[in-house]
Amino acid sequence: MATAAPGQRQAYFDDVEVGASLETPGITLTETHVALFSGITRDPGTRDPGAVPDLLPLCLSSGLGWRVPQPPLVVLAFLGFEWRFLRPARVGDTIHSRSRTVTKRPMREGGIIVEERDILNQRGEIVQSGKLTLLVARRPRP
Amino acid sequence: MLCYRLVSAGEAVYFEDIRVGEEYSSPGRTVTEADIVIFAGLTGDYNVLHTDAEHMKASLFGERIAHGLLGVSIQQGLLSRDMPAWANESLAGLRWKFKGPIKIGDTIHVRARVAAKKDAATPGRGIVTMARTVLNQRGEVVQEGETEHAVERRDG
Repeated sequence: MATAAPGQRQAYFDDVEVGASLETPGITLTETHVALFSGITRDPGTRDPGAVPDLLPLCLSSGLGWRVPQPPLVVLAFLGFEWRFLRPARVGDTIHSRSRTVTKRPMREGGIIVEERDILNQRGEIVQSGKLTLLVARRPRP
Repeated sequence: MLCYRLVSAGEAVYFEDIRVGEEYSSPGRTVTEADIVIFAGLTGDYNVLHTDAEHMKASLFGERIAHGLLGVSIQQGLLSRDMPAWANESLAGLRWKFKGPIKIGDTIHVRARVAAKKDAATPGRGIVTMARTVLNQRGEVVQEGETEHAVERRDG
């Protein structure tokens, strides 16, 4: 089974340290994000023009994780997550995410990683928060 | 046969109007390559799982798959097409499992049931829990979970 794509550095299950944390750069939520998101999902949550669909910050946080200097994890599958929506985000807010590995469990094929993630706004308030469970590849034997 | 319930803008459904055990089912939607490409561009999640057709030929799935969160987002929009709008509703929480891949060309729909109701910490609102199942064209469960919604009370 192929795990890593050529051409980039990768982090494997073996490289992950429990307790390691990561803070991402930010992204400003714009009307364009809302329009594109509503267009592909038909999320109707647009009663007020400055409102941001509840799921949009969570979706954007998965891309924020790719904008850090650390090599990306070789994720084989996203298994599940638990998430709390604590305060609404508005167009014009700048969000970023802060995450920490809390659990690491080896499996026959790869291993399970549980990551705690907070999404914060420009005032440092936690907007959304939860835990994500990922199946990650082990480093291939040479 | 597809039935669309017509809900006028003024006819809001309040917390008190929602009954435990109510069931909803959504229309279907075919998830396309365009959906995945736009979602990758929007979110910046260019993981090879979703963007590298050649690499994915040799993977567990055999081809590119939709982002898990694209499936979550699509089911949210799908279900709202065949449900009355709940008064001033917002998502409070989600517990979700990805059971199988959504591949390009798969047609998914959602089944949902009101599983529980409880008071919210915020006065004037209540929390409604829905159990949801996302199925593909073969009736296989691809995603399932619970969503919690804060809904305005009529007497709030």
